[in-house]
Amino acid sequence: MKVLVIALALLAGCASVAKLEGERTVGERMTITLDGAWNQVNAPGVGPADLWTLEGVPVDRLLIYAGVKDGQPVHTQTGGTQKHITFSSRMQPEQIVAMFEGMFTRDGSRFRLTRLEPSSFAGNGFRFEYALTRSADDLQLAGVGYAAVSNGELFALLYQAPRIEFFPRHRARVEAMARTVKLKD
Amino acid sequence: MKRRQFLSFCSGCLFAGLANAQEWSAPPRLARPDVASDEGGLWALMDREEARLRRSPFALRDPHLQRYVQDIACRLATEHCADLRVHLVRTPFFNATMAPNGMMQVWTGLLLRVDNEAQLAAVIGHEIGHYLQRHQLDRLRDVKKRSAFGQFLGMFGLVGMAGQVGLLAGMFAYGREHESEADRIGSLLMRRAGYDAAEAANIWENLQLELKARGDGEQNSPLFATHPPAEERQAALRRLAEAAPGGITNASAWQKRIAPYLREWLGDEVKRGQHEESIALLTRKIGSYPANAEYLHARAEAYRLRAKGEDLQTALADYQVAASLGGEPAETHRGMGLVFRAIGDSAAARTHFQRYLEKAPDAPDAPMIRSYL
Repeated sequence: MKVLVIALALLAGCASVAKLEGERTVGERMTITLDGAWNQVNAPGVGPADLWTLEGVPVDRLLIYAGVKDGQPVHTQTGGTQKHITFSSRMQPEQIVAMFEGMFTRDGSRFRLTRLEPSSFAGNGFRFEYALTRSADDLQLAGVGYAAVSNGELFALLYQAPRIEFFPRHRARVEAMARTVKLKD
Repeated sequence: MKRRQFLSFCSGCLFAGLANAQEWSAPPRLARPDVASDEGGLWALMDREEARLRRSPFALRDPHLQRYVQDIACRLATEHCADLRVHLVRTPFFNATMAPNGMMQVWTGLLLRVDNEAQLAAVIGHEIGHYLQRHQLDRLRDVKKRSAFGQFLGMFGLVGMAGQVGLLAGMFAYGREHESEADRIGSLLMRRAGYDAAEAANIWENLQLELKARGDGEQNSPLFATHPPAEERQAALRRLAEAAPGGITNASAWQKRIAPYLREWLGDEVKRGQHEESIALLTRKIGSYPANAEYLHARAEAYRLRAKGEDLQTALADYQVAASLGGEPAETHRGMGLVFRAIGDSAAARTHFQRYLEKAPDAPDAPMIRSYL
């Protein structure tokens, strides 16, 4: 549903898209070097993550969390009367994955973790892979996520795209970009 | 009108409705409307959605369970049975919907929550009540005036609309009068089919536990602004049941039917991240089935993920009882390991992580757990 809202916002002209290349600073502490050009989408319903895409929001999405603080929600107000899902600086990797799981399933989509492992992302982070069946259109997506907690703040990259064709096409670029992430103290 | 006066007024309506319900008789089978009419257009739209639902990855394709639920619907609908098609949908919200073309959806969040066959019959009977009284058509004409067609489609639980208005939205889809009328008809259909109609009121009692556990109560829910509050519907259903007590519940048959799916549905429930609601639900289930390791494990997971106050200790206690009962999921030992790790008991954490990896060496998170050893 959120994807639909953003797509409609773009059509209605109340959203903007900016081309991004090279090294970028996201938030106050995170830098990332892009592999090729990406599109940054600014629209109602986007946030607190930065939303980037290669193919367009209905197809693929890269969510970048650059310093979510303790107690802050990780999504905008969607999911009707359901409670917000918030980040806690005490969360362990399994809890952070469960937090994103809750976020992705608020609209009835189905999430399945397929891998969780340590990673050097942002120094001392972790990496996970998942399958997501999107309730809005029954589409089968594949996703990869990187996350780390630094000075009590959450930094994460989550990329998802249709399991067939698009995810395999762009996965290597996203993984390469994740390796370039650096955090300022 | 003040709240108390208003509730009193509504109670009067329901008592008046009781007499009507005794006299109520089902209409003849509904004929397919003219395709050029607004109702015909709605049927065509629902036909397309039903075709989509049949292919959907959210459809639960178990012919035995589907037949079981379809048979319950048929006992309630009697001569309308031939027009009803039950579809089971795997989504963790409490909902059943009935479209005007006879497509009925029953979501797994509902199947997880009901305690027996009679409670499921109450929800299905309520939806059949909407169908027989053609409430959907009234609603269509109403929303057309208000340009709220998207919201209207959500009433039928179209797959993409799941979860848009929360866990219990399905029970508040129509206006006050229609919901109350469907409650009365549902109760009557239950009694005619031999079910204990008191179970309809028990559903509301159970749901209120979850609503209250959220912490923001009814006041903050937009659903309650325009619909009979849960307590009011519970009281009305209780009065209807008292007029003709008795009947079957089929509790043990129900538990046997859902046992193969319990772990999967409980996993879906905990994944919602609505820990207060999940803990309330699971505490109620554990009260009824204290020796069921699945409910204990699921509640432990919800406490561990919430991790507030004494939650980790409570989670550990639940995990330990689940493990002592035997037949616990492998993830019970992962959970125990994570709790012990969080509270600084690395030796105990190691023991349980090793146990988890022995039971589930190919688990998706095995690389992460191995890094903790």
